Amino acid sequence: MDIDFAPADIAFRDEVRAFLNAKLNARLREGAANTPSVFVEPDLTREWQAILNQQGWLATSWPQEYGGPGWTPVQKYIFEKECAIAGAPSLPVLGLKLVGPVICKFGTDEQKARFLPRILSGEDYWCQGYSEPGSGSDLAALKTKAERRGDTYVIDGTKLWTTHAHHANWIFALVRTDSTARKQQGISFLLIPMDQPGVTVTPIVTMANDHEVNQTFFDNAVTGLENRIGEEGQGWTIAKYLLENERGGSCAAPALLAELDRIEDFSRSEPSGVNGAMIHDSAFAQRLARLRLEAEAFEVTELRILAELVKGRPAGPQTSLVKLISANLRQAINVLALDLFAYEGLQLPLSRPLYGNEAPEPVGSRAAQLALPTYLNGRAWTIFGGTDEVQKTIIAKQVLGL
Amino acid sequence: MNFDLDENQELFRATVERFCGSGDIAARHGARRLPGAVDRARWNQLAELGLIGLAAPEADGGLGGSLLDCAVVAQAFGKGQAVEPWLECGFIPARLLAGSEHIAGVLAGQQLATLAFAEPRRRYAIGAVTTKVSTDRINGEKTFVLCGGAAELFIVSAEQDGCTKLFAVPCDAAGVEVRPYPVADGTMAAILTLRDVAVDAPLAVELDAVIDQARIMAAAEMTGLAQRLFDDTLAYVKTREQFGQPLGRFQVIQHRLVDAYAKLEAMQSAVWRGLLVPGSEAAAVKGFIAEEAIWVAQQAVQLHGGMGMTDELGIGHGLKRILLLSRLFGDPAAGIAAAAQAA
Repeated sequence: MDIDFAPADIAFRDEVRAFLNAKLNARLREGAANTPSVFVEPDLTREWQAILNQQGWLATSWPQEYGGPGWTPVQKYIFEKECAIAGAPSLPVLGLKLVGPVICKFGTDEQKARFLPRILSGEDYWCQGYSEPGSGSDLAALKTKAERRGDTYVIDGTKLWTTHAHHANWIFALVRTDSTARKQQGISFLLIPMDQPGVTVTPIVTMANDHEVNQTFFDNAVTGLENRIGEEGQGWTIAKYLLENERGGSCAAPALLAELDRIEDFSRSEPSGVNGAMIHDSAFAQRLARLRLEAEAFEVTELRILAELVKGRPAGPQTSLVKLISANLRQAINVLALDLFAYEGLQLPLSRPLYGNEAPEPVGSRAAQLALPTYLNGRAWTIFGGTDEVQKTIIAKQVLGL
Repeated sequence: MNFDLDENQELFRATVERFCGSGDIAARHGARRLPGAVDRARWNQLAELGLIGLAAPEADGGLGGSLLDCAVVAQAFGKGQAVEPWLECGFIPARLLAGSEHIAGVLAGQQLATLAFAEPRRRYAIGAVTTKVSTDRINGEKTFVLCGGAAELFIVSAEQDGCTKLFAVPCDAAGVEVRPYPVADGTMAAILTLRDVAVDAPLAVELDAVIDQARIMAAAEMTGLAQRLFDDTLAYVKTREQFGQPLGRFQVIQHRLVDAYAKLEAMQSAVWRGLLVPGSEAAAVKGFIAEEAIWVAQQAVQLHGGMGMTDELGIGHGLKRILLLSRLFGDPAAGIAAAAQAA
């Protein structure tokens, strides 16, 4: 047993580090560090995406033949870890990590040729139509229906929590194509253009004052039959594949550890109000230490899963465990940051972005200004992509056999 | 032994309930968009109902309510998810301005007053250090002045002759600079800079005692808020169906709500204990209640799912107000530390 990467992987890590040092500019770092919501705005991600695309390092989860870099799971992990440590902006995951792999796996040659290059180039920006007002955790209860008329589907219904739908020109959606079939079997996976009269997007502002999610309405919206992925009724199978990808992304610990490092740095200058800095406040220092222990153990858990992947064993329900741990750790870290900044942590800016020239002036520091919106938006980590309760049920059933 | 509210307390509670109404979100957003983020017409109404006067002595034209009376009102404001800053611009100024010329305008609702106590880089410290008064001039900077973006009168703590004293400073006095900024509950706090501002003699009231009273009021308001979030969540899980049954049929949800219910009972008991048992450490009571209230509020968000995350439900508003109160005059850790020290 050993925990070290092979020499070739360490050489790869150095190559990634050198690349990030050279290409990750101050604007991108600042924007990524000062985004309190889950997703980074497209004005930043486009620039970073173009840089990575030029290098051929963009679609890390795609097969090489469609533009993936052909990395091993270990290389993918190393790349994600280095990006997290360097503070690179997150990428538009809905196209690159969710619908992209689905098209690679289930798409026709025509669909691959049409959509994949435009995801890479950034020409297409994707959003996801899964949840509905009546179907959250119970995704299969979805009601949005698509009816065949000639060579098109006509779509009616509504999708909730459509992240960045206000930026997107395409949506991938689960729709009901057969209302007579049993719940999961009547569902199909459609790609629908957003720029049409039948699609309306209304913003939903979070309690942190961020506009990230929307409700998207379909009222006689249309898409061609050629924009269905897989067969009619295969949507649920595809959705499960995609959700596993959404829950996978298993390189969460390095970002959490980096965040703890940042908090520790701030705690060296943040006054305790009694004497000295917060790092010398024993209750605070112990919480920080405890969270670091959890994050360090979690890092090794992810490495153990990675080692299994390398041997060709699928991660399976482990992805639920990873989601559960990372979501709760992240929230605990957000609370620690909030506590660190005391009264300054209670400011809640009304406007966005919190970087660049338009950013509202912070009280105290930018880090303090970010603490509350990050905490508030971060409450969603235990809700989206399968709530904690859903993940625990999956683990209870599939791992523990209960 | 009797834990029932008396007739007057019931009356005040009912008055606050009527005043708060159903806690309409559109009205809440409307108030927050007004200059200073306080609806002054509603504030006047609140004053006319005697809800500020309740906290002031009869000698000043107030109703001379007891702390218990005031806590009943604070809790009702919490349960009603009031938009109005009763604690920070009602209760606290009414207590601090006792016997002063400024109190009449405050009780009438004409003048919005607020306490400016926090100083930059001093965390939750109460006593004034960097704000100083000498030869009738005040100098210094205050931060986290709640509703400072709306207030006409600041009650500023400052060091004079080695002690922390309180001084009344009108917002339009020469040398006063107010920089408003938005805080958790949607109100506008402010950074207050004072440069050679002329002040009269200090107020007669001692700050520490009023802060302890305000801690109990904050605890009561958080208890009311947590009750409200619990009630709304209980109603939601009874009606929201997933997997063919109401969420409330799932055992994990049932047990979670029972935990919340047990915490609410403890919070109510802690409020009454803090008021009824002499020598109770107010900071500790508040710290304990704040921790429980935050837990309940976070669960309310979680059990509402995505909807709990939005600005469109009262759930998030409740969480944000609880967060603000949980840290006012010291966070839960500071409160628990006070308990450890007192023991």
